[in-house]
Amino acid sequence: MTDYNLERLNFLMVDDNKHMRGLVKTILNALGVRNVIEASDGADAFKELRHFPADIIIVDWNMDPLDGLDFTRMVRTAADSPNPFVPIIMLTGHTEMNRVVEARDAGVHEFLAKPISAKGLYSRIRSIIERPRPFIRTKGFNSYFGPDRRRQQMPNFMGKERRKQETDYEGEGGAAELSQDEVEALLND
Amino acid sequence: MAEDEEQENRENQEGQEEAQESTIIRTPDTLKSKVGTGGPGAVDLETLARAEAVIASLSDDYLKWVEEDFKKLDDALAKLIAEKDNRKEHLDRIFQISHDVKGQGGSFGYDMMTIIGNQLCRFVEDMEDADDAEIEAVTLHIDALKMVIAKRMEGDGGAEGESLFSGLEKVVAKLK
Repeated sequence: MTDYNLERLNFLMVDDNKHMRGLVKTILNALGVRNVIEASDGADAFKELRHFPADIIIVDWNMDPLDGLDFTRMVRTAADSPNPFVPIIMLTGHTEMNRVVEARDAGVHEFLAKPISAKGLYSRIRSIIERPRPFIRTKGFNSYFGPDRRRQQMPNFMGKERRKQETDYEGEGGAAELSQDEVEALLND
Repeated sequence: MAEDEEQENRENQEGQEEAQESTIIRTPDTLKSKVGTGGPGAVDLETLARAEAVIASLSDDYLKWVEEDFKKLDDALAKLIAEKDNRKEHLDRIFQISHDVKGQGGSFGYDMMTIIGNQLCRFVEDMEDADDAEIEAVTLHIDALKMVIAKRMEGDGGAEGESLFSGLEKVVAKLK
């Protein structure tokens, strides 16, 4: 395990539950992070981003009025987005396969299942530091803008096959709960 | 056969066209330059152990937060029983609260809260309405969550936890 010093990183923590915000902030502080700004929903967080240069955003899925998924899409694609490239960690209890695919396709970098631990959170931060991903802009019907969904380079990749696989996630098994390892495998495919 | 080949060629061509339409944008790797490695303040195994200990030290606070969740669950359950024409809304509310309960318990060593909270979520998530037996099952899950906290059943709750959960599973199985 590489020992990273996180003191200079700015985190934006977005969750409508104040206890979860407090818990994540406490863990980040215990890992040496000094600068954590909190926001209680996606709209609030988007406002914060205008003046806070976040290095990493941790966002909960379920929030009103703007949830974590819409927030991620807004950060990635809104014309007035202050930082479309910022790494985003989606924090949620939703670990069903179709949900993980949905979050990935909205443009999240990492996925952390609740209940969280210090080790789990640090491991997601470490992944972001160690595996910086180029961004992809795809035009057309299945347009996408976000981090490269294939972290491993696959020279023979043909877009068609991926779409076929993803369609399968919608069918049988799409609602099956995944372990953190399985989520990782899916994000790494 | 010829048709299959034609189809395959068409698909390959579409795939290549899509690949050509994708633009790759390489962003500057600013994070690595900001974090640095090693030295005082770097996250090593000891730091992680300390961070886990900080979470464990919050378990008394957790026991207070979860009481707030119980109040919210009681309130939603009372409305679910009273408002026959509005049950979907209250079932959704129960889903949201039990989803929070599920997401928190395990962080503080109360794995049973995560397990039972998850089962309650799964039980109500697709319900449009609830009959008396289903409301009774929801009530039993809420009572079980309260029991875990009242008896401080940490971890998997041992034999008592296992029997509590298998009882709930039987109730749910009967209603399926």
